[in-house]
Amino acid sequence: MAVAEFLPPPLLALHGVTKRFGGVCALDHVDFDLREGEIHALLGENGAGKSTLIKILGGIHSPDAGSMSIRGRNADIRGVSDANRLGIRLIHQELSLAPNLTVAENIFLGREPTQFGLLARRKLHDDAAHLVKSLGMAEIADVWQTVARLSVARQQLVEIARALSCQAQILVLDEPTSSLSDAETTELFVTLKRLRSQGVGIIYISHRLEEIMQLADRITVLRDGKSIGTRRAGQVNTRELVKWMVGRDVMDYSHFRRGEPGDVAIEVHNLSNRHVHDVSFEVRYGEVLGIAGLVGSGRSELGRALFGIDRVDRGEIRIDGRAVKIHRPSQALSAGLVLVPEDRKAQGLVVAQTTEFNIALPWVREWIWGPVPNLAARDAIVRSAIDRFRIRVSDATLPIDSLSGGNQQKALVGRWMHRPPKILVLDEPTRGVDVGAREEMFRIIGELAEAGMAIILISSDLDEVIQMSHRVAVYRDGTILKTLSSEQTSLEVIMRLLTGAGAE
Amino acid sequence: MKSLKRMVPLLGATLVLLLLFWWRVPGFLNTENLLDLAQQISVNAIMAFGMTLAILIGGIDLSVGALLALVGTTTVFVLTVQGGESQSVAWLSLSIAAGLGVSLVFGLFHGLSAATTRMPPFIITLATMLVARGCALRYNEGRPMHIPEFQTIFLEIGNGRLWGKVPIPVLIMLVIFAAMVVLLHQTRLGQYIYAMGGNREAARFTGIPLVRVEVIVYTICSVLTGVAGMIHTSQLYSAEPGSGVGFELNAIAAAVVGGTSFTGGRGTMVGTLLGAVIIGILSKGLNQAGVHFSLQYIVNGLVILGAVFIDVRGKSTR
Repeated sequence: MAVAEFLPPPLLALHGVTKRFGGVCALDHVDFDLREGEIHALLGENGAGKSTLIKILGGIHSPDAGSMSIRGRNADIRGVSDANRLGIRLIHQELSLAPNLTVAENIFLGREPTQFGLLARRKLHDDAAHLVKSLGMAEIADVWQTVARLSVARQQLVEIARALSCQAQILVLDEPTSSLSDAETTELFVTLKRLRSQGVGIIYISHRLEEIMQLADRITVLRDGKSIGTRRAGQVNTRELVKWMVGRDVMDYSHFRRGEPGDVAIEVHNLSNRHVHDVSFEVRYGEVLGIAGLVGSGRSELGRALFGIDRVDRGEIRIDGRAVKIHRPSQALSAGLVLVPEDRKAQGLVVAQTTEFNIALPWVREWIWGPVPNLAARDAIVRSAIDRFRIRVSDATLPIDSLSGGNQQKALVGRWMHRPPKILVLDEPTRGVDVGAREEMFRIIGELAEAGMAIILISSDLDEVIQMSHRVAVYRDGTILKTLSSEQTSLEVIMRLLTGAGAE
Repeated sequence: MKSLKRMVPLLGATLVLLLLFWWRVPGFLNTENLLDLAQQISVNAIMAFGMTLAILIGGIDLSVGALLALVGTTTVFVLTVQGGESQSVAWLSLSIAAGLGVSLVFGLFHGLSAATTRMPPFIITLATMLVARGCALRYNEGRPMHIPEFQTIFLEIGNGRLWGKVPIPVLIMLVIFAAMVVLLHQTRLGQYIYAMGGNREAARFTGIPLVRVEVIVYTICSVLTGVAGMIHTSQLYSAEPGSGVGFELNAIAAAVVGGTSFTGGRGTMVGTLLGAVIIGILSKGLNQAGVHFSLQYIVNGLVILGAVFIDVRGKSTR
């Protein structure tokens, strides 16, 4: 410890940083430090607190307690501009470039050099070329190139160059490789290592353990908002990391009884399109098949293909042994397959309309067929969904916006139960709902399966998939890597497969 | 009944305007003057009903003004091409069918191209507006085509009165209004329109046939314009290739003043009818009060701005 006192203060240090959202503690007294010329990986499951932490660094959230310092000096980050002034730059999964401007124009966006009040386009491009060269980014050396014509990987470099052009000392990369090919990933790593040698501190967030072992100097694991510990990359192996991330005290919902699976309800053979590659599986009546995939694995696209939203190029879907053609959602519905989409607000609800409108919408045929709408029939449909799913709604004639997230989700599932489908595809059914609503959703899934429905549960929440599924299909890069029976499933196994640490 | 409560400000505005002009213009509230007012509103109201449907699903139809002229010229062309000295009901029906047929073709094209390509309806209908205007000007070298006096049935459409009292255009408008109210609130299509305009993605995930709804909506919009075109042409006693300029803007104004949300998913036929009534009272009242037409434009513009401002504010406080 005596030696440590002579080291210069770390580039960035967090002490006891705490952040609450309502009753949920997203970050609980987290300590973290980043040194100059270091790549420090931040690991954790979805919801472990990684994104909250980087949002605090970026000035998007401010912490409820704790302190931050940069080079030993107390740093008070109250907004994005503070973060930028202190040299912290976030690079998100979704890039924030202006696609129709050139590389150089993007790098100096908002800080363009001018001459007599006019844009000095020549100087701007010369400066950018100089900067790109000094960073060694040969891939974007042509700074006159329009950004829209670059690959995602190169656009990422533009974003990094932009960050560094405003004297950033700390780069935060959130899942930078999620949409990159292997070759592009390697390219990115070369760049990151070069930046490291130039003294830049990099916080690197990824689910892919193999990458992290290859790239990071130190690794910090977050779980349930707490920092579990920090290790030098050489001192741990992937098996240990997975255990750290997952922990042992996992909540148990196995008391939800499940019926024995019956006949095969749906068979999918070699389903393929732009996002989905040769996916095959089958689900029986009364069975829950979990599709476990991380963000960006293309798991939602599988649901969209099954439901006829996205075009299917190849493959076959059989329901009750009969081949069915699904090119449109209406065909999926008449074949007995329902998809409850991932994004409630964008894809599920007509937000401006009432709760009863939203629940009764799929069944318009049942209550409007004569000269006058049968409002009694509509109310019966609405009432039964509300009662059966215990949707807490004060007045069904108010906009559905007035319900909590969990109740909106229950309405979205419950509305299909007027005539229950044979096969129910749930995409992230518990995203953004609180713990109570999550348990209720689990209860509902359990009950529906027990009643004989075939359920496909697509989720990046691995706890959820493991607890609710009879079998788990591990999904990565648009395809099923492996299907595990319930005896084989454990968080460790799935995490190893998902992060590509399975080879070990 | 909540939706009726939203009509209170519109009814209030209508009342205030009526009283205001009654004060400035002697005899403004006479039965004859009011019937005349209703007759003048009809054409715009009928077009505004269709426009409301288009706006409700998140679209727009800019072509209706030009289409109105094209329907008129087509109808009168067919009507007079035969020549002769007396009217024939069969030939009249054929003429009207030709006019409405043209509007039907435009509507189908708008709906199909909006639903199956990614072209925005604004651009599609901007283009067909030019096409329709050009087609209208092809007839009779762009000069007005007179309707012969003996075509009494066709002239009745715009100028006749039932029991010598109620103008036929007003009757037609009210029948269409009733049909549109039923369509929007009592049919599947109405539910689909609100769902699609409120959240197109959600409607898709619910299995709603988006293409069909869009085609039907634009077709209704165009065919209603066709009907309005018949009335307008009849009222003018001739088909004028240059008529209907700016009518699309009046129709949009009526819908918007009536509380139709420009992003779609919100709005009612009652609101649009009141919107058309308000705009109608304004223009007739200002005219009769002797206000210069340049000032009328300014007042109209400010009224639209004010109505939408109140509407938007009401939405944010709810």
